[in-house]
Amino acid sequence: MAITHAHASGMGGMRVAGDLVARVQMARGMKLAQAKAYVAEKLAVDVSELTDPIVMTEVRTDLGLGVVTPLPGVPKGIEAKFNIARVLDIDINCVKRFRERTRF
Amino acid sequence: MDQFFHRMGDGSAVQMTAKQIMADLVEGSEDAADRGKIPPLAKEEYDYLLDIFCSPHKFISVEPGREVILTYDAATLKIRRVGVHVDRIQALQIYEKIMGADTMELAHVDYSYKPVKPIATFEQPILEQALLATHIPLFYGAQPNLGLYSQPDGPFPNPSELMPMGKIKEAQESYEAALEDLVKDIVFVGSLMYESGADGINLDTAGAAGDADFLATLIATEKLKAKYPDICIEIGMAGEFVLGMHSQLTYKGERLAGMYAHQQVKMAEAAGATIFGPVSNTNTSKSAAWNLARAITFMKACGEIANIPIHPNMGMGVGGVTVNDQPPVDVVSRSSAAMTTLCRLDGL
Amino acid sequence: MADLNTITQALIAGDKDQVTGLVQKAVDENVAANKILNEGLIKGMDIVGDRMQEGDMFIPEVLMSARAMSAAVAILKPLLGEDESVVTGKVVIGTAKGDMHDIGKNLVSMMLESAGFEIIDLGVDVAPEQFVQAVKDHQAQIVGLSALLTTTMPMMQTTIDALKQSGVREQVKVLIGGAPVNQEFADKIGADGYAPDAGSASKLAKQIMS
Ligand code: B12
Repeated sequence: MAITHAHASGMGGMRVAGDLVARVQMARGMKLAQAKAYVAEKLAVDVSELTDPIVMTEVRTDLGLGVVTPLPGVPKGIEAKFNIARVLDIDINCVKRFRERTRF
Repeated sequence: MDQFFHRMGDGSAVQMTAKQIMADLVEGSEDAADRGKIPPLAKEEYDYLLDIFCSPHKFISVEPGREVILTYDAATLKIRRVGVHVDRIQALQIYEKIMGADTMELAHVDYSYKPVKPIATFEQPILEQALLATHIPLFYGAQPNLGLYSQPDGPFPNPSELMPMGKIKEAQESYEAALEDLVKDIVFVGSLMYESGADGINLDTAGAAGDADFLATLIATEKLKAKYPDICIEIGMAGEFVLGMHSQLTYKGERLAGMYAHQQVKMAEAAGATIFGPVSNTNTSKSAAWNLARAITFMKACGEIANIPIHPNMGMGVGGVTVNDQPPVDVVSRSSAAMTTLCRLDGL
Repeated sequence: MADLNTITQALIAGDKDQVTGLVQKAVDENVAANKILNEGLIKGMDIVGDRMQEGDMFIPEVLMSARAMSAAVAILKPLLGEDESVVTGKVVIGTAKGDMHDIGKNLVSMMLESAGFEIIDLGVDVAPEQFVQAVKDHQAQIVGLSALLTTTMPMMQTTIDALKQSGVREQVKVLIGGAPVNQEFADKIGADGYAPDAGSASKLAKQIMS
């Protein structure tokens, strides 16, 4: 059932920009259209490209936002989230905590 | 007349004519309109629904560009419930890498704030490690579950025992006392998880034990928000309608008992919730058409009035999805696509 | 002059003290007891039922109304059926198994009692065997069955079957009632009579005994 939703109407998570739009919505309380427009602007892509895995894999690789297939040297996990916070200009709770804990 | 493959709310297959499907769509929508005192669907919306129900395709989807955020609650429970014994961090990785989740949630198998309280400090390191290893937003979530606070599970006299003895005041007082404890537990666990770095706190199936359960959720939200102004809180409802188990509780001057989604969302907003997850229940003895039109009528009214993002619940037995262990792709995809296409919503 | 509408409103609000006060006042002003009952109290209970169905009123509130109703009925009890002729007979009465509604049944009991019947009230949630046993123990002539839920209506049939099986069906007349029940249902399950309210229940019982 979950997979059916993902295919029928979901954005597609980190294979595209679903997680990024969700982050903006969660951080700023933005409604969907606004959140999509915000992310598209920050990534310098068209709103329609946010759900295109070809475009988004390239953008995510370039900006180091984390990709599905973990290539060597590409930011993963918390590393990618540092980049997401900076690129989207939002606070990410665990990134802040990471800084505090590593006194970085 | 042509017969179309259709399903009932329990998932069983039936044959219906287009005329019968249309009649059910109208009846379902009007049922919601009547109960919620909200407008029924419009002609084009019925036509769209009829169209997808008469489509020979197995799978229906939204038009590109209309995709919405897909939030998975209790992901770590669901993967183990089907007998796949991966640990919880692996489960989360499966959700983000394989299941196409836009957000996900770490949850404990007891999935209620009360049992999580004593083990919260054991949950935190798992959450912290998960946050290091994953990419997409990660909630920590559980259910308010007020039922756990009355006897035999908790310290307070059981209202459902008091009520039949005619002890109405006592029953109501018991709810009032229990909800204060519930608020404390939600705030306690929510605070720890936020301080561990969770992207959000999910209060899932709010109102399951009635109006007192919903009130506790709202007060806890308010308190967490006051403590951590940047915290993201999602309130997801248990059912379409707040049952008046206490019956006279109010929040910001509004009586909670009897509220439907479009009224509940205003309460969630007032409490400071970031995202609201409304619900409409599936009736197993009615057709999928009846159920979906009804669900969309409720969710549409909610979406139109909401100032915060809404993520209607589309799991088993809600939002027009049939009540089975394995809801069929035909009906889930139709519900998913139609809900997303016809309602002003921000996620599922 | 007592305003029956205020009684109705106070009943809906579940305000027991106000309801009993207003009912007492109406009685003092010589308003007929059955008028107070029908046009004030029962009317209010009907509205309560509608609101319950609409999701505007919930169990605790309905219970408060029910409590106010019972207290008010207690005041009216000695005055109801005063003018009626007296008969004798024994009635075993109860609410069907699984059903907790007793306001209507209590009213029927009261009316029958004031009409001269001896009442053996088995209460609510009464199993078929309990009815059978009570009929045998008390040598009753009438069995009164009440059901307010569509789900407990079939229990009336089961009770009649149990009376038959234990060989006492012929010695009693079975009367049934309750909001979802009607004459057609009574005929279908082989009951001897149906009455829509407590007044007609008492008339029917008297007819049977005469
Ligand atoms: C008060 C009430 C309650 C109170 C009962 C308190 C009590 N001590 O009785 C409480 C809160 C406990 C209650 C509980 C429930 N209730 Co309730 N309740 C009512 C209500 C509002 C009024 C009933 C009443 O007292 N009417 C006033 C009296 C005077 O009228 P009466 O009972 O019909 O009796 C008259 C006649 O029928 C006749 N009569 C009655 N018995 C007999 C017997 C004989 C022999 C004869 C001849 C005549 C006769 O004479 C009486 C006097 O005029 C009705 C709605 C309604 N309007 O009927 C719902 C109603 C009956 N309840 C209903 C429901 C669903 C429930 C619950 C399942 C709710 C829940 N979710 O928990 C529970 C069930 C509990 C159980 N197992 O029984 C539904 C039933 C729907 C259905 N399809 O069956 C109703 C119709 C409400 C609704 N519209 O949804 N309820």
